[in-house]
Amino acid sequence: MNTTVSELTAEEPQPAAKLIKPLTGSEALMQALVEEGVETIFGYPGGAIMPVYDALYDYQDRLNHILVRHEQGAAHAAEGYARITGRAGVCLVTSGPGATNLVTGIADAMIDSTPMVCLIGQVAMKLLGTDAFQETDVIGVTMPITKWNYQITRADEIPEIVAKAFYLAQSGRPGPVVIDITKNAQQELMTKPFAYQKCEKVISYRPRLVPKQDQLEKAAELINKAKKPYMLVGHGVLISKAEQELLAFVEKTGIPVATTLLGQSALSDEHPLYTGWLGMHGNYGPNVMTDQCDLLIGVGMRFDDRVTGNPALFARQAKVVHLEIDPAEIDKIIKADAPVIGDAKEILTRLMPLVNENDHTAWRNEFRKYDDIEDEKVTQPALAPTTEKIKMAEAINLLSKKTRGEAVMVADVGQHQMMTSAYYEFKKPHSLVTSGGLGTMGFALPAAFGAKVGDPSREVIAIIGDGCFQMTIQELGTIAQNKLPVKIIILNNNFLGMVRQWQQLFHNRRYSFVELQNPDFITIGKGFGIAGHTCAKREDLSASLDTLLASEVPYLLEIIVEKEENVFPMVPAGTSVADIRLF
Amino acid sequence: MNKYTICIFTENTIGLLNRITIIFTRRRINIESLTVSETERMGVSRFTIVIKHDSREAVEKLVRQIRKIIEVMAVFGYLDDEIVSNEIALFKIETPLGSKPLDIEYINKHFNAWVVYWQLDYVVIEKTGSEKEIFEFFSYIKPHGILEFVRSGRVAVGKTEKGLVEYLPEYEWEYYL
Repeated sequence: MNTTVSELTAEEPQPAAKLIKPLTGSEALMQALVEEGVETIFGYPGGAIMPVYDALYDYQDRLNHILVRHEQGAAHAAEGYARITGRAGVCLVTSGPGATNLVTGIADAMIDSTPMVCLIGQVAMKLLGTDAFQETDVIGVTMPITKWNYQITRADEIPEIVAKAFYLAQSGRPGPVVIDITKNAQQELMTKPFAYQKCEKVISYRPRLVPKQDQLEKAAELINKAKKPYMLVGHGVLISKAEQELLAFVEKTGIPVATTLLGQSALSDEHPLYTGWLGMHGNYGPNVMTDQCDLLIGVGMRFDDRVTGNPALFARQAKVVHLEIDPAEIDKIIKADAPVIGDAKEILTRLMPLVNENDHTAWRNEFRKYDDIEDEKVTQPALAPTTEKIKMAEAINLLSKKTRGEAVMVADVGQHQMMTSAYYEFKKPHSLVTSGGLGTMGFALPAAFGAKVGDPSREVIAIIGDGCFQMTIQELGTIAQNKLPVKIIILNNNFLGMVRQWQQLFHNRRYSFVELQNPDFITIGKGFGIAGHTCAKREDLSASLDTLLASEVPYLLEIIVEKEENVFPMVPAGTSVADIRLF
Repeated sequence: MNKYTICIFTENTIGLLNRITIIFTRRRINIESLTVSETERMGVSRFTIVIKHDSREAVEKLVRQIRKIIEVMAVFGYLDDEIVSNEIALFKIETPLGSKPLDIEYINKHFNAWVVYWQLDYVVIEKTGSEKEIFEFFSYIKPHGILEFVRSGRVAVGKTEKGLVEYLPEYEWEYYL
């Protein structure tokens, strides 16, 4: 039988056939992460996510998986990573308890606008709703604490949904996204060739980045007319990486600047226009001046109640310009006379040509007298204590000097957090990573190694209280196994210090369940393979910090601090910022 | 307390009802009525939710929070005079032998209501109208013995010249016809 040339060639294997070899859902997921540019995954395996972990085995050269010790650790590590890199942190966990253990971290990321993509295993589609082993309604549970969530039940959906998830997590006002993937979708073959296209728009979601001209003009008019303008800088400025634009703007306009807790390091602490930070434990001047300015410019911030005190009494005399990406934040707490919707970087750039050069010297000098009072009543006594034991403030201040204000400080939640914020002099942007809105104890240890993975070139120092440390202490194992050179400082006062402070000030020293019987932290560290030592005396403090900073491997320094030190200034909850207490 | 009608245009996806109602729940706002249907555009659903609230400001904040849901395309909050609205109600009325006969003609002419189904011992009457009209009819028919009464949620369109749907992203949504 005669054969033609064309028939012969038709029988040969086509190179194209290789390309269209169908992938399993799990392989598609791995491939999608690679295409999205993901480098690191924080995860913990389990039954319903095993097909994905099997696929990950072949992707170890392209995806760096960090095995945490508890899923909450994965979530906070992803947050730390995201806060340093600006890219979404990725978590990979199993169904049921794996998913519910993530919940605290997801809620934390939501309230602090942190981009995060959580990939969560789910029981097979046929078992949904049957109370199958490790089945939890993850979509239902995470609905109020995610920017978006979605349940994938077919392998074919994976590329498109993963692309959409990263786009939503990272664009506009960032936030956490949950993808719940049923086991059958992980196992089955795609029915079409894998093709990944980055998502660039979602029809029903259009965050406004470029502000409207009329809004800009109205804001500029108020700024130009103001005699006593005052700018409050929030996390949004750091999220949009608008530090340079902020600097140019304030230098042109001469407007004094304060930051929120999460806005810290957006402007160098050394800058003459930086007046401090405001909020419940913020600086004296910045808090009081909200009652004296004639124009308040909030940029990338949301007037949290820890910033405003009683909002009905907050800055009543001032006009308000609110520069913000999320329209729902406008007028939510404080009514804005001139709202500008858009990305902080875009807004500041476009405001520049509209605002007049100015130099509010007299007005700026008014902050000074408050600074002097705070310095005399709070700062000096805290930095030159006569107490036998070390004070948190002096430890942080010395650390600040030794690191030249250039380290990434990852603070946990409580007194030590406020002390870090108050006494570390931030010189570089993106240098404070802390749980602001949710106030999640146990955040710092995992967030610190997440930050270190995100930017290994920076010194990352976790400041943790003895209470917080015991909430995620198991993550020492992750740090040791992955040899992540994080520097850990425990400020140990044997108390849940902030709660104790409130009990002292507002509950007549009725110390209700705030004293801790602590383990020997250094022995625990050693058990995990992490070296460390305890510093209990003032004369050892400097050398102890030197040892910590000189270490090229993770190091644990426990500093025994004054038991009943209080954080001041303090605006008692629900009062006006004018009621700020210095002692 | 004012009545507000909130119209929400969304993609038609699983779980969206839940996503929307938790925004009300979290702010302790009770939903008086809720109707969902697909609009004249394929894949676009329309929620009509009626609430009572004493603060317009709070309702505006609520609307902005709903708009933040990724699948939500547009949200509008209206006072009663800004919309044309209607509801439908079905009344199942006893008609046992020897009872007072129903005056169907009067019901038609006076109340604009219709018998849509009947059996030997009951009839089903359909009444369309405002909440007020439906309850006026309710009072009239009550003495006959109401076996069952059901009222739909409100459906509403805005009184603006253009249809509200014109505000939706135009190009990607096909019309049915």
